[in-house]
Amino acid sequence: MRNLRLLLKRNRIWVGVAVLAAIFSNLSQMIYTYYVGELANRIVGRTMIGLAFLAVLGGFLVSNAVTQFLNQYFGRFAAEKMAHSLRMGYATRLLRKATNDREGLSVSSAMSVAQNELAQADAYLGNTFFDVFGMAFTGILATIFLLLQDILLTLTLLLPTVLILVYVRFSSRKLSGIVSSTQTEKARMNQVVYSAVSAFPAVKVFDGEALCKGAFRKRLLAWEGHATKNGRWHALYNTLSGILSRVPLLLLLLVGGYMVIRENIQIGTLIVFLNLQKSLTLSIMNLPSWLSGFQVFTTNLSRVEIE
Amino acid sequence: MIELKNVAFTYQEKIVFQELSLKVEKGQKVGIVGESGCGKSTLLRLIAGLYRPAEGGVTVDGENDPEKISQKVSIVLQTPMLLPLTIRENITMGHAFSEEWIRQVCAASNLTKWIETLPNGIDTYLGDRADELSGGQAQRIAIARAMCKNAQVLLLDEPTSALDGENAAAVLEALDHFGEDKTVLHVTHRPEHLVGYDRILRMEGGKLLEANASCAWRAVSL
Repeated sequence: MRNLRLLLKRNRIWVGVAVLAAIFSNLSQMIYTYYVGELANRIVGRTMIGLAFLAVLGGFLVSNAVTQFLNQYFGRFAAEKMAHSLRMGYATRLLRKATNDREGLSVSSAMSVAQNELAQADAYLGNTFFDVFGMAFTGILATIFLLLQDILLTLTLLLPTVLILVYVRFSSRKLSGIVSSTQTEKARMNQVVYSAVSAFPAVKVFDGEALCKGAFRKRLLAWEGHATKNGRWHALYNTLSGILSRVPLLLLLLVGGYMVIRENIQIGTLIVFLNLQKSLTLSIMNLPSWLSGFQVFTTNLSRVEIE
Repeated sequence: MIELKNVAFTYQEKIVFQELSLKVEKGQKVGIVGESGCGKSTLLRLIAGLYRPAEGGVTVDGENDPEKISQKVSIVLQTPMLLPLTIRENITMGHAFSEEWIRQVCAASNLTKWIETLPNGIDTYLGDRADELSGGQAQRIAIARAMCKNAQVLLLDEPTSALDGENAAAVLEALDHFGEDKTVLHVTHRPEHLVGYDRILRMEGGKLLEANASCAWRAVSL
């Protein structure tokens, strides 16, 4: 987390712009959804739909599209700036680090970090980090907005969500340990290869080719075992969370439908909930994979020394 | 016996040697000195079969196939070149040696005391202890590896360059003792490490000069 804080601090202006863009994009989306619900209410209530109302709806439609584009653009830009800071920070650290006596192992460790942890953290920052951040942000804002619309219906969505979150918390802890051990095995496997190359004279004179091959095979098998276990647990937890994440929608349809029939709420309110519940359920459905992805990212990041 | 006949060697289009010849009798101790980059290390690597000469030939005990020459020599390089495996695997390089022999080479290379402090002893995995291993400990493992192979030809390429004075003296003493009945070629910047050697050669301009053929140099260097 220290490294992540450092990267965020170094790029605080662009990260701030990206966060603002995400806020405006989400607010615009919610207001637009609210007006769509209002349109449905007017149609059902056979109320006059004036030109001013349509103009406001159209205005929010355009602003929604524009802010979504800006959100994506600034999110990607801030992510690339952070990824650049990470790469440069690693290079600076390497250059300043005193040369270790055991040159061979140090070089192989540095190469291993560069080709594994650094490359993966870099890819995550560039491709996933702000998308995950944006989706999580959308989920939080949607919850607040829905609470302002109807508390009972929001609780119908939130209560199963809380149960799912407890499950996600448990599964992510379990997955974190598995991910970390898989990463360790991968690094060890790569280190054998890089060391065998850098220690080529010793390997040749002391006839260590069979030893290196054997060590690599051993490390490969150990990594395969961990990776398979990792894949199985991910599949299990993600399948379960996928099933659980559908429960809120079913409850919303049952409770919301009943409330509309009883005329406790208008159809427009239910439409707003049906539109925005995706922001919640999608966030929840993807939470395990996001969290495990984020765990891999922070594990990778913690292994990269930066300045 | 080691013999180089009219050896030529180029590295990245730069001529390192031309018509270089050398004969080292079995059991002789030969020291090689010279400026940095003059080709001393390259010479040892040629003899070890790690490089192939562009012209001429290298023979070790009558063998001229580089693959087979590698089997006849042991080498200790400036950098220990350890693998991220256990101490035992780094010493034996995966070959079967008796426990008694491994114990002897560890004792001869001053490793025993340190190994006894490790939780898994000689089976300690080195890859996870990268920051805990000193240059001296790493180089002593490399020396133990060379001793363990027990080849008749021992090539030493500045084996103490990364060590402090105390460590260097201990390592040199161990190597002198181990190399007593072996043919030794020792490359160094420090001629005082070659006291007691049968011959001292200076490499200059791609040629090897006998020290006794250049008394003035010997007086200055020693």
